[in-house]
Amino acid sequence: MAGLELLSDQGYRVDGRRAGELRKIQARMGVFAQADGSAYIEQGNTKALAVVYGPHEIRGSRARALPDRALVNCQYSSATFSTGERKRRPHGDRKSCEMGLQLRQTFEAAILTQLHPRSQIDIYVQVLQADGGTYAACVNAATLAVMDAGIPMRDFVCACSAGFVDGTALADLSHVEEAAGGPQLALALLPASGQIALLEMDARLHEDHLEPVLEAAARAARDVHTLLDRVVRQHVREASVLLGD
Amino acid sequence: MLQKREKVLLLRTFHGRTLRIVREHYLRPSVPCHSPLCPQPAACRNDGKLLTSDVTHYVIPDWKVVQDYLEILEFPELKGIIFMQTACQAVQHQRGRRQYNKLRNLLKDARHDSILFANEFQQHCYLPRERGESMEKWQTRSIYNAAVWYYHHCQDRMPVIMVTEDEEAIQQYGSETEGVFVISFKNYLDSFWPDLKAAHELCDSILQSRRERENESQESRGKEYPEHLPLEVLEAGIKSGRYIQGILNVNKHRAQMEAFVRLQGASSKDSDLVSDILIHGMKARNRSIHGDVVAAELLPKDEWKGRTTALGESDNEDKASGESPSEPMPTGRVVGILQKNWRDYVVTFPSKEEVQSQGKNAQKILVTPWDYRIPKIRISTQQAEALQVDFRVVVRIDSWESTSVYPNGHFVRVLGKIRDLEGEIATILVENSISVVPFSEAQMCKMPVNTPENPWKVSPEEERERKDLRKTHLVFSIDPKGCEDVDDTLSVRTLNNGNLELGVHIADVTHFVAPNSYIDTEARTRATTYYLADRRYDMLPSILSADLCSLLGGVDRYAVSVMWELDATSYEVKKVWYGRTIIRSTYKLFYEAAQELLDGNFSVIEDIPEFKDLDEKSRQAKLEELVWAIGKLTDIARHVRAKRDRCGALELEGVEVRVQLDEQKNIHDLIPKEPLEVHETVAECMILANHWVAKKIWESFPHQALLRQHPPPHQEFFSELRECAKAKGFSIDTRSNKTLAESLDKANDPSDPIVNRLLRSMATQAMSNALYFSTGSCAEEEFRHYGLALDKYTHFTSPIRRYSDIVVHRLLLAAISKDKKMEIKENLFSNKELEELCRHINNRNRAAQHSQKQSTELFQCMYFKDRDPETEERCISDGVIYSIRTNGVLVFIPRFGIKGAAYLKNKDGLVISCGPDSRSEWQPGSLQRFQNKITSTTTRGDSVTFHLFDHVTVRISVQASRCHSDTIRLEIISNKPYMIPNTELSHQNPLLLKSELVKEVTKSVEEAQLAQEVKVETIQEEYQEYCQTKGRSLYLLLEEIKDLALLDVSNDYGV
Repeated sequence: MAGLELLSDQGYRVDGRRAGELRKIQARMGVFAQADGSAYIEQGNTKALAVVYGPHEIRGSRARALPDRALVNCQYSSATFSTGERKRRPHGDRKSCEMGLQLRQTFEAAILTQLHPRSQIDIYVQVLQADGGTYAACVNAATLAVMDAGIPMRDFVCACSAGFVDGTALADLSHVEEAAGGPQLALALLPASGQIALLEMDARLHEDHLEPVLEAAARAARDVHTLLDRVVRQHVREASVLLGD
Repeated sequence: MLQKREKVLLLRTFHGRTLRIVREHYLRPSVPCHSPLCPQPAACRNDGKLLTSDVTHYVIPDWKVVQDYLEILEFPELKGIIFMQTACQAVQHQRGRRQYNKLRNLLKDARHDSILFANEFQQHCYLPRERGESMEKWQTRSIYNAAVWYYHHCQDRMPVIMVTEDEEAIQQYGSETEGVFVISFKNYLDSFWPDLKAAHELCDSILQSRRERENESQESRGKEYPEHLPLEVLEAGIKSGRYIQGILNVNKHRAQMEAFVRLQGASSKDSDLVSDILIHGMKARNRSIHGDVVAAELLPKDEWKGRTTALGESDNEDKASGESPSEPMPTGRVVGILQKNWRDYVVTFPSKEEVQSQGKNAQKILVTPWDYRIPKIRISTQQAEALQVDFRVVVRIDSWESTSVYPNGHFVRVLGKIRDLEGEIATILVENSISVVPFSEAQMCKMPVNTPENPWKVSPEEERERKDLRKTHLVFSIDPKGCEDVDDTLSVRTLNNGNLELGVHIADVTHFVAPNSYIDTEARTRATTYYLADRRYDMLPSILSADLCSLLGGVDRYAVSVMWELDATSYEVKKVWYGRTIIRSTYKLFYEAAQELLDGNFSVIEDIPEFKDLDEKSRQAKLEELVWAIGKLTDIARHVRAKRDRCGALELEGVEVRVQLDEQKNIHDLIPKEPLEVHETVAECMILANHWVAKKIWESFPHQALLRQHPPPHQEFFSELRECAKAKGFSIDTRSNKTLAESLDKANDPSDPIVNRLLRSMATQAMSNALYFSTGSCAEEEFRHYGLALDKYTHFTSPIRRYSDIVVHRLLLAAISKDKKMEIKENLFSNKELEELCRHINNRNRAAQHSQKQSTELFQCMYFKDRDPETEERCISDGVIYSIRTNGVLVFIPRFGIKGAAYLKNKDGLVISCGPDSRSEWQPGSLQRFQNKITSTTTRGDSVTFHLFDHVTVRISVQASRCHSDTIRLEIISNKPYMIPNTELSHQNPLLLKSELVKEVTKSVEEAQLAQEVKVETIQEEYQEYCQTKGRSLYLLLEEIKDLALLDVSNDYGV
């Protein structure tokens, strides 16, 4: 492989960012009126849509109801046109099941589920365009959607990915960087307390390097938090103006 | 803030479909411009390398110029070069990794005045590619646009010149902006660097070779070689075990026919191959060149061939293949090259007659490389006429198409005349990729000064931070007589609690050489001090190596010390302390004097200058103190050595070093009987220090410490040694280093000391070299040092002449501050960087050894060249047979230290025979080879047999060669040992003669130069430039010692 130079000697990445810089993040809350909560996020060219229903009564088998807290149900899907090559992605394949599970773990940690016993919260996420960091985009979109639905949470959940190239930790990997095959770590953070809701890595990385990568991901997640916080405030301001009318 | 743009790329997938990919592209308001004229340095964040401010203009090469003329841009004379990112990417994508890495190194090199400007990430410089615009046009447009921006950024204060090869661009942009000039590269060189002749020549030759290549590709004749497979196929094939990856090694004596692929990495583990793979013939070698990393495919078993064991003469190798080759070995062919290892090659133009026979195209010339292993190179130059007369020339290979028998190259520069001493030395340097430009002013101006008017002093801050040993410790050094660069000093004293304290104090070079300073970069590139037969090239400037870092007697010096507290009787290590100190060496002893003191012979004190000015009483007291210290040291060293011996330390250097030390003493007219124990004492203390430092840095930095390993040898390499020993009736047990050491000691023929010497040198040859490595890159069991029988070892004691020691010093100091919970100030190398560095140092060390060996051979040849072998007494000498081949024997000549081949069958097929007076003559007949003897039978029925270790008389002559180095030729003239008429001569040893030899050659060369008065000036200049000592110097002597000793082991002793 001729190989792309992921990090140049001058410290630039392929797309011109420096090691710790995020991609451009744009987000909107309340994109669908009929859902309880919804949000749309763009992280660079990764675009995701999240829709939240609930809390409502358990649908389907009653046996699934939990006596002390709400059931969080997450479903992930990705559009056929989301990647460079069109590819049909059937519902319930391994990858989307896994992603759904991860989202569920993340949000069970963040939502105050004990406030709604014997009920259910549905989070549907769809990726419209995938350009690296889909998990992070899904979590960030879902956070905004959950907030839009007015479901009480401990804190924002902000997620970001990080990688490791030539001894340097890179924050917020794009597709090119992910495809290069280096180690990649996904982190979901509750920024106020610094608690980790989910941490995932499925490549080999030397123990000594874990700390800097983790640090880079956490810093990036805090940056994401600042941005999301701004979006929420903006949304609330707009909504209150509307209500005021 | 960053601005986001999108770039649309169309890529082709592996299946051939086009894929539309959208990639983000972020722009920023400011990227570092690295210019001293920058109006807002804070905004630009210009850290790191800046352009110098004393240039008249900035040059911005277009992408095409960077791709094709990078070699010219590498000239240090060209300053103020701004490489645009666009151009760099063009190199990366279209020219491959090799050239791109060259560019990267150039940018990183602090000595070269060039920077990279990331124009594509600057919001005003970035231009999106327009629809339908060709890549080339867009690149040129971007670079021009960036050049204009840069000019305005520097507030129009510095004219900018963009050099391009694109005529249209010159037309279009030439007069668009004032202050930004667009001209062609040739034009630029002509108008700005008319005096830089080398650059012009290089430019012409590149231009020409490019034109040739274009013509050639249009011709597209029949293919000479099969195409190489694509890289993906090769990688997959290597993984699946179908192809074998390895380094191509061409047999020097049969460069046309035989090459071997030395297995490398994982592939050797999977396949059951144990030996190398033979590549037979140029076709199977498929355009790979010696040193390339190749992928080879095995041929079916019935096509396997054997290697030839006959001695080949370089000029008629193919014809002499009458002998039956040995048993078949795995044979293969090269299917692809994974990494090309092309370097600069020294070549010679063919002589006039040969040119004519080469035919019509006078522009293209086949030149012969100096190195036998490199194929002839086709170059095109207009200077052929001028260069034909006996010049050594440097060329580079550009390409080797499958349609061409020979590779294409271009001419780079002239080195010097054939057979001229300077020219030949320059050849050796280039062939080993050693570049030794004198230290530049920029490097020297950072150096501290020490002149009588402005003496160097210990600074008060350092005095506070360092442990002061000046008053408390008796520190002294023991070195060869006249040594200038004293790396190491010793001390020993009794502590209050009765224990002993042993100290090794090493020059604190890192105090003066800051990491990544100019001097540091230079030292890292050089990696070691190069010793040639008649000169040396220092790693550090002499102000450091011979003065401020040298631990001379009677002056204050900074040192890094290791001090052990030892039990008073058992000498067990109780405690160890590492740290920076200030010392004042009291005595600068030489070995002989120290030995005399140790033996209780105090008459030598007259020779020790430190004792001169003392009155009788204090002299006596001081003397006793010193003698006690030396005695104690020796005692400790004996203990340490004994402990190491129990673990199986090899004493390979033993006999040889001793022999040479004897010789060294001959020079000083001392002629002692036994070797000096002091040598071992000093060496042992150094080994101890190296060992403890290795342990320390490994404990503190388990993944990034630089250590030295000596892997255990392969048993099969010892078979020749075992067989040779058997011929003499000795048995050698090679199972472990301990048994080997013991059996080598026993294998001593009292009547012929050379036998043991030869056996030991065979044992060394069988062993692998000791290497530097980073501890993160291999498992702990592999750290062992086989020769010294230590589990961890490193080099710490000679920072003045080895860069590895400087790295170890930095590691040790970082480890100390880590212990004190202080912040580690310096940036240590990570495992990966260190691994890279170790590879570099190992390479350089190898180059240093090769160049040293080649230069010695050069001097030998020059010595014998002027003598008529038929008449001159000196050309006839005694030799020992140490190996048998099918058509000859290998002979070692102890008097000159020469090893070489002697034929028993000459080119006409005649064999040697010896008459009753034991004089030899050539007769028709045949040869018969046995395991440890060879018999030559003539048709008349006489026969003569040569056994291993037989003494014979040989005549030494020089086989002159125009294109290659001259070689020594040996001819057996009698099968009896040579009787030397003058008995005194027989006691003289190789060393003495060799140093004399060097002196004599140097002298005669100088005389020749004096005769040609025109030349004198230039030579003198060169001598000044290199600041080298002429003739016999101390280094020469030292090197002679090292030369005959087993090279690497003796290095380990820090002698």
